[in-house]
Order: sequence, then structure tokens, then C-alpha cells
Amino acid sequence: MRRFGLSVVLCIAVRFAANAAPAPSPWEQPAAMLAEQIANILGPGQVRLTLRNLSSIPANEMPAIQHFLEQDLKAHGMTVAGEESADAVRVTLSENTRQRLWVAEVVEGDQMRVAMVELAPDQPAPILAAGGLLLRKETVITAQQPILSALETAHALLVLEPGQIVIFARAINGWQEQKRVNLTGNAPFARDPRGILVVSQDGTGFEGWFPGMHCTGSLPPANDATAQCGASDDPWAIAARGAPQSLAFTNASAITGGSPPALKAFYNATRNYFTGVVSPSLDVELPAFYSAALLPRSAGNTALLIAGIDGKVRLAENGGVSPVEGARDWGSDLGVIRSGCGSGAQIIASGSGEAISDSLRAYELPALEAVPVSAPLAMQGTITAIWPAPDAKSVYAAVRTAADQYEVDRVSALCN
Amino acid sequence: MFRRFAISFFLVLVGVCAWSRTRPHYGGMLHVEITGDPWNGADGLARRLILDGLTRLGNDGTVQPALAVDWQSDDAAHHWQFRLRSGVQFHDGSPLTAIVVVQSLNLSCNANCPWTTVRAVGSSVFFTADSPMPHLPALLAEDNFLIALPVMSDGTTPANLIGTGPFRFAASNHGILSLTASESCWQGRPFVDSIEIRAHRAIHDQWLDLSVGRADVVEVPPEELRQAGQQRLVIAASPPVELLALQISDSGALANPMLRASIAAAIDRDALFNVIFQKQGEVTASLLPQKLTGYSFLFPAERDLNKAHALRGGLTTPPLTLGFEGDGAMQLAAQRLALNLHEAGFDVQTPDAHLDAHFDAHHASHPDFLLRELPLEGADPAAAMEVLLHAAGETVAVSEQSPPALFEVEHTYLDRKTLVPLLNLPRAYAIGSRVRDLELRADGTPDLASASLEDAP
Repeated sequence: MRRFGLSVVLCIAVRFAANAAPAPSPWEQPAAMLAEQIANILGPGQVRLTLRNLSSIPANEMPAIQHFLEQDLKAHGMTVAGEESADAVRVTLSENTRQRLWVAEVVEGDQMRVAMVELAPDQPAPILAAGGLLLRKETVITAQQPILSALETAHALLVLEPGQIVIFARAINGWQEQKRVNLTGNAPFARDPRGILVVSQDGTGFEGWFPGMHCTGSLPPANDATAQCGASDDPWAIAARGAPQSLAFTNASAITGGSPPALKAFYNATRNYFTGVVSPSLDVELPAFYSAALLPRSAGNTALLIAGIDGKVRLAENGGVSPVEGARDWGSDLGVIRSGCGSGAQIIASGSGEAISDSLRAYELPALEAVPVSAPLAMQGTITAIWPAPDAKSVYAAVRTAADQYEVDRVSALCN
Repeated sequence: MFRRFAISFFLVLVGVCAWSRTRPHYGGMLHVEITGDPWNGADGLARRLILDGLTRLGNDGTVQPALAVDWQSDDAAHHWQFRLRSGVQFHDGSPLTAIVVVQSLNLSCNANCPWTTVRAVGSSVFFTADSPMPHLPALLAEDNFLIALPVMSDGTTPANLIGTGPFRFAASNHGILSLTASESCWQGRPFVDSIEIRAHRAIHDQWLDLSVGRADVVEVPPEELRQAGQQRLVIAASPPVELLALQISDSGALANPMLRASIAAAIDRDALFNVIFQKQGEVTASLLPQKLTGYSFLFPAERDLNKAHALRGGLTTPPLTLGFEGDGAMQLAAQRLALNLHEAGFDVQTPDAHLDAHFDAHHASHPDFLLRELPLEGADPAAAMEVLLHAAGETVAVSEQSPPALFEVEHTYLDRKTLVPLLNLPRAYAIGSRVRDLELRADGTPDLASASLEDAP
């Protein structure tokens, strides 16, 4: 009867330095560790070695791994021989959901013992987008709780979570939590709650909207971070004051210039969409919508782009509402950036496809047909919200990752 | 080797990708049909819709806060404190308190509890045990420990389950259970207004109802996955979330470990995989699947009849009884196992179809073997092993985390031959065209509270 035993196992982490030259093989160290364990079990002598791969390591790496193992066994006084050897070692390159695992089944007579070496998984190589515009993302913050919105300034970061606003201050080593303001006391929120944070009109504070609630507060460095919240059914700002893409049309007719007020929209607090009623009125009847953005047009005016709850994208412009073609694969969230590339402004829309992770893509709208101007930028999970940055040069995306974590990514464009 | 891992990847992908990226609509009624009981066991969808646990398993298998917002233990994991979420109400409007949680847990767990005592202090629940409970948060996510209101404010016992979940009980008529959305659910109101669950419905009747639009979500047993694919049903299938295993009594006729080892060697897993379960799932001889540990292949799964005869030697046993949980494929699997064991010299009886319908409870609970489906949940292999063994009726603290240490624990346990792993099986559901965003939970059951209807008003 075979007897199982287990040798000491060492855990090692393999780091891949893709750009370092000359790069050591990532297999050298684990092969040496496993060979040492095998040698501790069998001692010097002849051994039959077989190797199989149940992992995602490419097949063309196998000769190198076999070579390292043979070399390291030899260094411990073991000679890899043929069928004549009574002792056999079967090495299996395996893996689980968290790590790689190299397993040696060491057979000596009728006894079998097991040795294992754990390896950290390698990181997937970054895939560069191609196209007229290059989208890139930077993760601003990650959290265990859902993130509904965030507002990043030079000195502070506000994160809106269901039930609270978390205020961070910039520190040497990143964002440091300063304060949490509880939003409880309002009615239970919807299954997929939403919220918005924007810079206040004077630029020293912020305003925030959450279903049934409105918050105001101050931000460093002008003041200490504060926040006050109260019940409110007031409309939400869907275009930040002072942002370059701010509303440039009033009362149904598109105009240019001026210092317009923010566009606000009434939100259905028990559901997950805006009712279609906006303030100031555009004198057009808007359908209920999930998201909206102001889009500069080539004629110099600004139009309102909305993603309706019926799945259609529309453009409100010149007193009318027109359907946008080429947007059938868009999701419910969109934003506009002023990249300075191409026509100057692009729509950033999430995809509605069925890939495991969502993507963002840049579009331009020369007329009423959306034209993709970037390759899709893969995100690390499901996009749950998009909102513009205060400087309008980028958008932020809230993403729920496969690990049920949440992150905020800043997405900006590079001109090709 | 790879043939054994030939779970239908196409079907799995369809399941994983059954979400789209536009926001869901609110409203409408979702029609669900199941073969089993909506209150009990793996088919007990209603329990999960009405009740919450202190913890839950996230879609990635990690333990997440639910009615408890956080928890901590002493170093030895003998004492645990779970702090309750504030502001949570039961469906009758009464508040969730630590006292109510303790009452509920005492009612649901009066035997084989992982803890010795549970008590309420302020807004926290404290668990104490003589043995360490390193994975208590994962255990508390199990169905057994969901929190139900035990006593109403007027002192009476609720006629139906009252919980804090996304749906509340509305009615039960003619085998149809009606649930309505809880507007005040702490997780947020679910998207659909109501759910009707039609229980004890035969699989092919379920599929017929799906085809004519009378049902939105129906079951697809593993052995029917191939046929469901041929019928072009849209399927959400989980990775393997159940361990089909043969539990062997270590007393009575099978007290001799050599006999149990003989039985383990005589089992033909390939026949179960190929014939009974139509090549769905994975053949296994380990408690935990390969994807979770990376070392499952170290446990040989091949049948060795010569070894079985050698281990049995000249020993004889009286006629043995092999019971099984469930019906259909489980009964066929039990009969196939009895045939395997007969070839190794054991006289094994299984209840036939007629007897199964009236299988005596006392008889079923004390067979020499029991063919069971055990939960295979979670991303933490140590916690998954502990939950699985708890479901098998054993309280085993698995503190080890590294693959070598876990292998040692698993190998030592399986060497007792009281539990013989056979197959890892997935769960699957067929979904109607108007259903959106239906995800499967870590246990493979559908998260109906996350689903919405395309044609909702």
C-alpha cells in the first residue's frame, strides 16, 4: 500500500519584470525549490522524472522548466535516468484560483510522498488600445462597499457610498481617510442606488445628491472638510457649474457663451432614473433617462445627450429631440470629455455587450450618428456609474470587480 | 484527464454572461418553477428570498457582511463577536435585534451546532465554543443559519416565515408560493414587484412552461444539461457547487476500515459521470475541486476492483442498505453503485422507485451508505472544507490555509473512508427571454432579487 507523506513546503512569490533586461526566468526559483524538496526525500541517486502541465503555463515553456528541474536535481546529486531507475518523480504543474502549484509525487518503492511549491500567478500583459484616440485609466481608489460617485480635487477626495460620504485628504502615501458623514435616516434606497457629487459654485466646497437627500460641505485647503445633509427632493445637478461643457443653451434654443446655470434633473428616488423633467426647462419633452451629458457641437452650441430608460440614446438640440444612430451597443452610462483631440470633445460610453467585463469607448457625434474614435478600453468588472471630472478632461467610472470589490477609475484620452 | 473536466464550458459561459450593461427596469412578476420544496434544501429558493443570514457568500465565494456588518474573534477562534447592522427591520416592521437573532439561531440550530453558546450583548451576538471555529463567518452564511423572526410583537408565533430579505411572504395556494417585494429591504427594493414559485413541478413540464412563456426561470438538472443545450434553452450554469459523495457508516457491518476501503476502491466513477450524469461536472476523489486547491489529482479516482477484492479479503457482510437523497438521477446513481459493490462481493440493496416514494424515514436515516449532495461553496478552501464537512454532519475545524497543509488534512480525513467523493456537479437554470441580469449565487442558486424583467412597465 502506498503511503503518503509530505515534505516541508516553501512559498515563493515570482515577480515578473517584463521590462528588465536581462530578465531571469520566472521558473528558475520554483524549480530549484522543488528539486531541493525532492532531493530531501530521495537523496542522491538515479531517478525517473516525468513532467505534465495542468496549468495555464504555455506548452512552449515546458522544455525550459524540465531543464531547470534536471539541472537542480543534478546539483543535489540526483541523475535523471530512464526506466531502469526504481525511484520515480512525477512533477505536475498545477494551479488553483489563487496561485500556481507545482506538485512532485515522489515514488520510492511502494511509498509515495508529496512535495509542493506555491507560486504567485503572473499578471496579464497590458493590452494597449488602438485607434484614433487612446483611452487610458488610472485607479483612484478601491473599496469594499459600493461606490456611487466620487469627487477628486487637488487636496481632497470625496467618495459617496450608500449611506455615507467618506472624505479623504491627500497624504504623501496616497489618500488618507478624514471623516465619514452618515446619510442614514432617509428611506431605504433602491436596489441599485445612485448619487452625484459636484464642486460647489464658489469652488471651495461640494454639493451631493443621494435619493431623497441633498448634502453640502466645504473642502480643504480653504476650509476643513465638512458635510451637512438633509432630506430633499430637489433636482440633481447633471452638469457641473463652471465645467467647460456646462450648459450653453437655455429655454429650448441653443446659444453660446455666457455663464449658464447648472442643468438639474429630477430623480425618481424609489427607482434608478431621472424622470425627464429638467431645470431650467429646455422647452422640449425629454423621456425618462438614466444618464445625460452636455455635448459641444460643431456649430458652437451645446446639446444634451441622454441615455433613455428604453435603451435609446437621444440628442436634445435646437428645440427638438432626435435619436442617435450607432449607439445600440451602448450601456446606460455615458459622459463627455474635452480631450482636445479630434473634434475636441468625445462621448465616453459603456458597452452593453455580454463580455465578462465591461468596456468604455470614445465616440464622436458629427451629426446624429455616433462614430467610434477609440478602441474599447477593458475595465476590470461591471461599470456601475460614469460621471465627468471637474475639469471635464476625463470621466470617472465606478466599477464593481469580479471579486465583489469596487473601484473608481479616472479615464482620459491621449491623442494619437 | 481533460475528458473528466469536460463540463460544458459553453453552458457555463452562457450562465456567467447572462447580464447586460444597461440599467434594470423595476416592476413585473417573475414566474419560477422548481421540482422540490421552496422552503427546504438546495431547492429552497424562498428561504433565501425571505431570510438573510448574518453573513453571505459573495458571487466570488468570499464571505461578505449581511445582517452583521463586521465580526472579530479571539486568536484561538473560540469566541466570536458579530456586530449587527443598525436600522434593519423584519417584514412586520419589528426591528432586528441581537436578542431576536439569538432566539432564531437557537431554534434553527439545536444539534450539531458549531458553537456551544450564543448570546446577545447590546447590538452584538457572541458565539462561544470549546473547539475553535476558524470559519464561523462562512458557516453562518449557510441556509441553516438564516435569521427568521421567532416571535411576533404580540407574542404569537408567525404563521409564515418573516425575515429581512428582499421579498416577503404573500400567499401560498395550490402549490404556488407568492412573494412580494419588500419596499423597506435594507439591501434596497428588488427590481421585480413579485415572484411566484411553482413547487414540485416535473422538469419537462417546467421546460414546456418556459417555452410558452408561462415560466421565466426553470431548473436544469446536470444530467439534462446536454438536452437543454440541444433544445437551445438559454442556460445559466454554475461551476461545480455540489459534491456527490457516498457517506459510509463506520459502525455496524462496516465498522472495519478495510471493508470501507474496499467499497471506495470498487466504485466506478466513470460510469456515474458518463452514463448517469451525461458527462456533466467532474470526476473527483477529493473533497475540494481542483480549481480550489490545485492538488485534487493526487487522490486517485480510478476504479480498482482487484484492490477492492484484496482489501475485503475473506470478510463477508450481511446485506447492506444504500440510501440516497433526492430522486431521479440520484436513484439511478445509487443503483449503479450497488451494482459496482456487488461486483466486489457486497450484497447491497437500494430502494426501488416505488419504495422510494414511501421510503421509511427511519430506514433512510440509518442506511449503511447514503448517497448525498454536499455543498461546495466559497473561495476559501479551508472554509469550504469545513462547511462541507459540517453539512456531512461533522464539526471539524480546518485552520490550515496552505495547499500542503490542507492536503494533509483532506488526505487524513478521506483515509477514514467514511466519505467517498464521487463527482463535482454544477447547478443550472433555463431562463426566459424577458429575464435580465440574473446571476447565480456562489451556491449556484439564482439570485432572483438581482433579476429584472425586460418588459417591466
